[in-house]
Amino acid sequence: MVQQFLPAISGLYGAHVLILPLVFLCCSVSVNFATMLLLAFICGFLWDAQHALGPQGGYPEIYADPVESLRFGYSIILYAMMGLLMQGIQPLFRKGKWHTSSILAGIAIFFYLFSEYLLINLVRGDFSFPPTAFYRIYLTSALTMLFSPLIFWLIFQLASACHHTIRYDGLKKEARYLD
Amino acid sequence: MKPQNLIALLLFIVGAVWALTRSEQSVRSIQKTYYSAISPFLKGGSGIETKASEFIKEAEHSQEWEAKYKLAKEELDKKRMEVAHLRKLELENARLSQALKFQQKAPFRVLAAKIIRRQPSTWWRTVTIDRGEKQDVGVQLPVLSPEGLVGKVDAPSENTSTVILLTDEKCQVSAKVDGTPEVGIVSGQRGLAGDSPSLRLRFLSKDAKIKAGMLVFTTGRGGLFPPDILLGTIKTFESGPLYGEALVKPAVDFAALHTVFVKIPKSPDSP
Repeated sequence: MVQQFLPAISGLYGAHVLILPLVFLCCSVSVNFATMLLLAFICGFLWDAQHALGPQGGYPEIYADPVESLRFGYSIILYAMMGLLMQGIQPLFRKGKWHTSSILAGIAIFFYLFSEYLLINLVRGDFSFPPTAFYRIYLTSALTMLFSPLIFWLIFQLASACHHTIRYDGLKKEARYLD
Repeated sequence: MKPQNLIALLLFIVGAVWALTRSEQSVRSIQKTYYSAISPFLKGGSGIETKASEFIKEAEHSQEWEAKYKLAKEELDKKRMEVAHLRKLELENARLSQALKFQQKAPFRVLAAKIIRRQPSTWWRTVTIDRGEKQDVGVQLPVLSPEGLVGKVDAPSENTSTVILLTDEKCQVSAKVDGTPEVGIVSGQRGLAGDSPSLRLRFLSKDAKIKAGMLVFTTGRGGLFPPDILLGTIKTFESGPLYGEALVKPAVDFAALHTVFVKIPKSPDSP
């Protein structure tokens, strides 16, 4: 719901704060593999339900060169790939280095948007990568990354409210900064 | 790999393949259900957003007047505040009158709609309006403003609809250049930023006599848009090996759009 009211910032090349992917990334580093895949499916499905565009329409003899869209469901795969990236640093997260996860969340968003843009180019042909597209990807990733500590904090609050313990070795005092 | 992870992976692959092989109709049905579920939040949120922006404007306004408050009497400030409020109302009145005139003058049946959400996705240029299938808004219907063409309806749900803007690469419009026999296809450009980026007018003759400032209108061919709706003005023209291509400045200021009009098909019993 929050994502619905975060429009593009026109002064920053149309960059967004991507709350749903960020929540997914922050969750995927703190859950097991199977749960991460389930989350990837749900988030990707909802993302595409919101953003998928319909066909061109009109008479094919006039619009002979229709612009293709990405298939419904492609985000599920991209979310799973981002989730796998986050799972790779789960041992660090469990040692209390949540800040590494925050940085990786930004990197994962960058690769997600970059892959999405490359896929658009692939299905539509006529490859183009204007600098504004790069700035939009970069600024969206950076802006989203800034919100990741807040999401991690909310996840920990939620876990504590539900009496759930995230395997968080960082709470142990010994050898925390020596790893 | 643990057995449960392997099972989870297999289930995920089955789910992803199921989603990727949905037909256009099922995707539309999924989207309709999704938007019907979130439309009360969208409308409510839009109301809160409007109130918040009004509050911020009021706050900015108050700060501006604070310095003058020290110099002027309280009564004078009150009067000025009243004048400012009246001016705001006057502007809103002018905007609504313009919209009403457009609605009355339009040679076809149009339905006024308010933009409740702007550009929610990274790569697609879309807005959400507060009218849907309950108000006869259907898929592919043209969306207009007094200045010109805005776009077309992409996904209508019960009470809201997604409109794909003219500045999106996927919104193609059959267009003609005024005063010339040239016709082509207008569309947005991929990956460009800004509120009103230039449009591409493709498939023109390579030796077309097109100059900057010429007006571009819809042709009415293609079955999507009515004829003679202004799209924009020519900025530049470049001749290619096969076709000529022009850059067009959109007639509509997409950043300032608040109210749009959906062209509704005439009902069979209407005169």
